[in-house]
Amino acid sequence: MFDFCPKTLKYNLAAVYANRKEQKKQMGRKRKHSETETAAPAKKDDSAPERPKRTLLGWKDKNEDAEESKAKAASGFRNKEKVLVTCSRRISFRYRHLMLNMVSLLPHCKKDSKVEAKSSKGATLNELVELKGSSSCLFFECRKHKDLYMWMVKSPSGPSVKFLVNAVHTMEELKLTGNHLKGSRPLLTFSSNFDKDVHWKLLKEMLTQVFGIPKEHRKSKPYHDHVFAFSIVDDHIWFRNYQISVPHNEADKVARGGLDKMTLVEVGPRFCLNPIKIFGGSFGGPTLYENPFYVSPNQIRALEKRNKAGKFAKKIKAKTRRKRHELSNPLEPDEFADMWKDDE
Amino acid sequence: MSLDDDFLEDDEMNMINEDEAASDSEAESLSDSDNEITEKLAEPTKTAVYNRDGLLDKLQDISWPEDVDWTHKLTVEIDQGPQAVDVNDDLAREMAFYTQALEGTRQAFSKLQEMGLPFLRPADYYAEMVKSDTHMEKVKSKLLYEKKQMEEAEERRKARDNKKMAKEVQSQKMKERAKQKKDEIESVKKWRKQRQQSGFSEKGGGAGELDLEFSNGKSFQRGGGGKKRPGVSPGDRSGGKGKAASRMGNKKREFRDSKFGHGGRKGLSKQNTAETTNDFKGGFRGGKAGGGNKRQKR
Repeated sequence: MFDFCPKTLKYNLAAVYANRKEQKKQMGRKRKHSETETAAPAKKDDSAPERPKRTLLGWKDKNEDAEESKAKAASGFRNKEKVLVTCSRRISFRYRHLMLNMVSLLPHCKKDSKVEAKSSKGATLNELVELKGSSSCLFFECRKHKDLYMWMVKSPSGPSVKFLVNAVHTMEELKLTGNHLKGSRPLLTFSSNFDKDVHWKLLKEMLTQVFGIPKEHRKSKPYHDHVFAFSIVDDHIWFRNYQISVPHNEADKVARGGLDKMTLVEVGPRFCLNPIKIFGGSFGGPTLYENPFYVSPNQIRALEKRNKAGKFAKKIKAKTRRKRHELSNPLEPDEFADMWKDDE
Repeated sequence: MSLDDDFLEDDEMNMINEDEAASDSEAESLSDSDNEITEKLAEPTKTAVYNRDGLLDKLQDISWPEDVDWTHKLTVEIDQGPQAVDVNDDLAREMAFYTQALEGTRQAFSKLQEMGLPFLRPADYYAEMVKSDTHMEKVKSKLLYEKKQMEEAEERRKARDNKKMAKEVQSQKMKERAKQKKDEIESVKKWRKQRQQSGFSEKGGGAGELDLEFSNGKSFQRGGGGKKRPGVSPGDRSGGKGKAASRMGNKKREFRDSKFGHGGRKGLSKQNTAETTNDFKGGFRGGKAGGGNKRQKR
């Protein structure tokens, strides 16, 4: 039953296992290591050159196998994205819930404990990412208990982006009524203005890689029942997550006319990202892009305070101005002023 | 990048111009600054870094290979309309996002259907959802509550309108009745005057005229036109007057009795009834069972 190679007098177990793996992949089951598949055919060729391989489906010819392995090598791409999700220490409840929502949305992520903010956070975080063996990182930094900054970083040498996060609504809000499978792969929709400029293209690529769940991840679920919507409005990236509800009877076909009856229910969370800077390295490096319209929330608050501070001074000034004006243009005496003075 | 927005979110307001303006002119420049914001080439922003080549290099670095199957990426690009969405109009903005997502899913689904892969969840597939069941219960109860509020508001509005209508109708009826009464009295007076004038002699003619009034058939009705009072039940000792209140109290009493059992009246067990007065032998037979018929029909 096993391939007995007369030359080496050994059973060619590797060939059998490789065959079995191929068949399993064809049947669409999840597996962990398909990299060995590309290695195994090469090995097979060395040890058993003449013998046609015996597979469960019949005898497979060697030529076919070579072509198949070539095709598979080209599409042997495997998305091995792993995201590390952490936050800084003084994070408030709303942003912590947002982070937990992200963790539940991305099964290919790993949540880590809080990071001390004061130390050189770039180096610390880089080390952490290396340690966990992740390929990207989402770091939520909360400053002054009010502003949330999100770093999206590709490791080890990838670009990193710092965003200011606004308009946060978490999944726990009762107005967001949808629900979907935990870990099902989302459909990602981008608005067309992501292709208009280079930095948007880069951001689109990073978002695809971070938010798209790898295809045969062990924690991912098979069906597609939710959709992410990324749009650029007013130079901000808006994120929405909707549950897809479409009437259907079979798993691979929509009912006739069902596409028109499709409705989307919002699941959440919702947030709005304002890109601040794009760096060439991870958590640092040369600045590749700076958002010209970005004003830090500190500056906005300072400005508002300054406006309010000037209120009293402005009032005094207005009063003196009015007095001066009155002195320079005295009113004429009113002819009706003493009309009622005589009636006593 | 649209140049027409002059009303941006607070963090987008480019108030860097204001920092440079003298503090004296801040009062005037506040209103002007809104217009200045729209000019994107203010001084500080000119120094923003934009390294296009570097960005392109990085993009090449991190991109996946070109021939990757679409099922790995699952991305769809949707064209937005020619006009930009106003950020501050919440409804329009959410509609834009919704239509983008809807269009995207339609395209993606048609692609998936062509590929023949299963992508729709069967009805019997139970797995962990991203929101727990208890949370969905809360959501459902909130939705039901809101629906109930709306319905109640509707009903209240309808009842109010009906009452208004009813009031109008009633006032109409009252007016009519008053008019009729007046007319009748007038006619009686006229008849009397006529009789007076004709000298009380013609009895036959007068009687005939009088008959006219009462031939309608609806003149002499007690209670003003058919209003029927509900009859008083024989066992009711309140005289038919305090009905509604005691019935309300009765309902409460009945509910409490059914829940906590019959407490019974306070101290009627040693009072005389019709049977016990005629019972000379003492007659303490059955104790509580005998005393139970003293007006305590609960």
